[in-house]
Amino acid sequence: MKKVIAMLLTLALTAGLLSGCGQANSNSSAASAATSAPSSTADTASHKLTVWCWDMNFNGAAMNKAAEIYKKTDPNFELEVVDQGDWDTVQTKLSTIASSKDYSQLPDIILIQDNAFQKNYKGYPDVFVDLTNKIDYSKFAEGKTKYSVVDGKNYGVPFDNGAVIYGYRTDILEQAGYTIDQFTNITWSTWLKQAKDVLQKTGKPLLSCQAGSSDIINMMLQSAGASLFDAQGNVNIVNNDVLYKVADTYMQMLKDGTCIECTDWSGYTDSFTSGSVAGTMTGCWIAATIQKAEDQKGKWKITNIPSLDGVKGATNYSNNGGSTWAVTSNCKNVDLAADFFAKTFAGSTDLYDGVANAGVLATYLPAAKSSVYSQPNEFFGGQPIMQIITEYASHVPAINGGAYYYDARDAVCNAIVKIQSGTDAKTAFQEAEDTVNFSMGKN
Amino acid sequence: MRKNYDANSDTGSSKAAVLPSTQDSGHRLTLKRRQSLAGWIYIFPAALLIVVMSFYPMIQALILSFKTGVSNNMKWAGVYNYTRLVQDKVFIQALLNTFIYLLIQVPIMLILALILASILNKPSLKCKGLFRTLIFLPCATSLVSYSIIFRTLFAINGYINTVLIHLGILSTGYNFLGHPNSARIVIIIALIWRWTGYNMVFYLSGLQNIDSSVYEAAKLDGASKSQTFWKITVPLLKPMILLTAIMSTNGTLQLFDESVNITSGGPANASITLSHYIYNLSFKYMPNFGYAAAISYVILVIVAVLAFLQMKVGDTRD
Repeated sequence: MKKVIAMLLTLALTAGLLSGCGQANSNSSAASAATSAPSSTADTASHKLTVWCWDMNFNGAAMNKAAEIYKKTDPNFELEVVDQGDWDTVQTKLSTIASSKDYSQLPDIILIQDNAFQKNYKGYPDVFVDLTNKIDYSKFAEGKTKYSVVDGKNYGVPFDNGAVIYGYRTDILEQAGYTIDQFTNITWSTWLKQAKDVLQKTGKPLLSCQAGSSDIINMMLQSAGASLFDAQGNVNIVNNDVLYKVADTYMQMLKDGTCIECTDWSGYTDSFTSGSVAGTMTGCWIAATIQKAEDQKGKWKITNIPSLDGVKGATNYSNNGGSTWAVTSNCKNVDLAADFFAKTFAGSTDLYDGVANAGVLATYLPAAKSSVYSQPNEFFGGQPIMQIITEYASHVPAINGGAYYYDARDAVCNAIVKIQSGTDAKTAFQEAEDTVNFSMGKN
Repeated sequence: MRKNYDANSDTGSSKAAVLPSTQDSGHRLTLKRRQSLAGWIYIFPAALLIVVMSFYPMIQALILSFKTGVSNNMKWAGVYNYTRLVQDKVFIQALLNTFIYLLIQVPIMLILALILASILNKPSLKCKGLFRTLIFLPCATSLVSYSIIFRTLFAINGYINTVLIHLGILSTGYNFLGHPNSARIVIIIALIWRWTGYNMVFYLSGLQNIDSSVYEAAKLDGASKSQTFWKITVPLLKPMILLTAIMSTNGTLQLFDESVNITSGGPANASITLSHYIYNLSFKYMPNFGYAAAISYVILVIVAVLAFLQMKVGDTRD
């Protein structure tokens, strides 16, 4: 009896193991087919392009729509979009493949986060293809195009808009006796005063952010055309007057309680979707997340951001995030890719109209004039937000984020944490600058 | 055949000494050689695999650590990376954090595992299987999932804060992950929760090997519970304790998932670990693979030194 049971168990286990192996084999062979597809199919069918990106509702939707439009002029065209999950995955894959110098695993087109573009170009210049004369860049907002420009040459096609908006809960503002116009075209000192008033009257802060990796600092810097790096690419922290003003404002709002810090991304998005925070300031792509809070329909309006006091060149506009399409050197038919982009992302307002519902906002300036973009958005109290945002994008100061963007951002955030616990500002920023210089190899 | 065996035995050795039996001695060597050759053939594929997949990359990493440069543009730099290490404030902070975790978390966890194992080894305890499963279950969870859950638990409006406010201990949520010391404590608690069960299973198996007659004799001699524990159980479990100590040291020094997912390196690098720093250097910041490789060799050296020390102290075999 025991022998029979033992035999049955062994058979069951073996069957399970074999089927598991079979699954694993088919999965891995499918995966290897997918990754080897770029090289093999690009060789034979020169009318196929592969794309790596994340977020199929947003980036993927735009690519597929572009393929539809391009097929009208070129019926043999094929596009394969491979979803990578998120930017970090794309970055890790890109780094790994580029380090191995075997570029055959790369797709033809890859989506790159703007803040990481300079870093990836500097590290792996052979991966990118020069697109300078193949696309008409004059129709794109300069502040956006600059991310993919190195030594005067363009290496990418600007894609989604990261122009910063400040969304406010108009009902909360009304409660405290303010209208949205009183928060438009103002300076940060006015904002601090008014926000404190709103907090006192309604108990709600007007801003929230992620602790430790706050983009608010960089947004404020860029609004004044400043950056953590100077024109030569050297780090500029401890002698950066604009940065001190930014840091002061940032710490003041934290102290007042008008801006609260959240532990992570979902904490941050929950803060305004749940209603505990009455405003948010970040890239316009946040509109999709704001609109998830359906019970707040009609209670939001967007406007521009406050400008820094006493800083020459300060504006009410900035940029945060956004991405750019790049053509990789693994692409066997660069002319096809360039033509594809020229006729869609850099030439067709139909494309941007078609994906406007997905929240994809263009940096392609002619798109702002289309009728779809001027449609009022009920959630935001009837404002034609897409038109407004595209207009904001044209005012964003262009800056040199530098290849060491993430190093500098983290170093500055760490410095601010230290300043909050009592360290002197100059010492903390000197340490930050030393850290970044260290990473850059200049000590 | 029989003749050959006789040649090896005592009775046959005189024969072997008398006869210049090249055939006999030839056979003896060939048999031994054949046996050891068979052994080598069995080991060879696995050894080859280890050399190619583990040792060769290790040597390449060592060579890489002597180069410096950004991404693919590497050039020889001698010991530059190693001298750079000692001046790198972030590296020193990461090293400090890793040692804090090592010195606080590992002893607490091992002692807890030991106590739990001896409690759960009592023959008279009911539902032993259930308790053992419950305590071991945390190790079966995914590192990322449990880290994210711990982060949510300790968030400002998380469950822990809600309970503490409810009990009246706090008036508003305490930012556990926003202060350096509490961030490290959260990581330590998470690690203890996860790995105690794992070490407990090792100790349980070690305890099974201890004869119950030893305990009976101790009871007859009038030893108290704590005396039995410290003077009998622990010394008899020494090899097992040594094993778990080395494994835990190795694991803690290479801590990664918790640092990334619970605290993201903590407020201003207060809870970042060495492996997390290596990841940042390779993927998040401007990639400097030579420097990252140098840091990974530092980890290797520390682990080797600590393992050696522990073996010296704990290994009572000859």
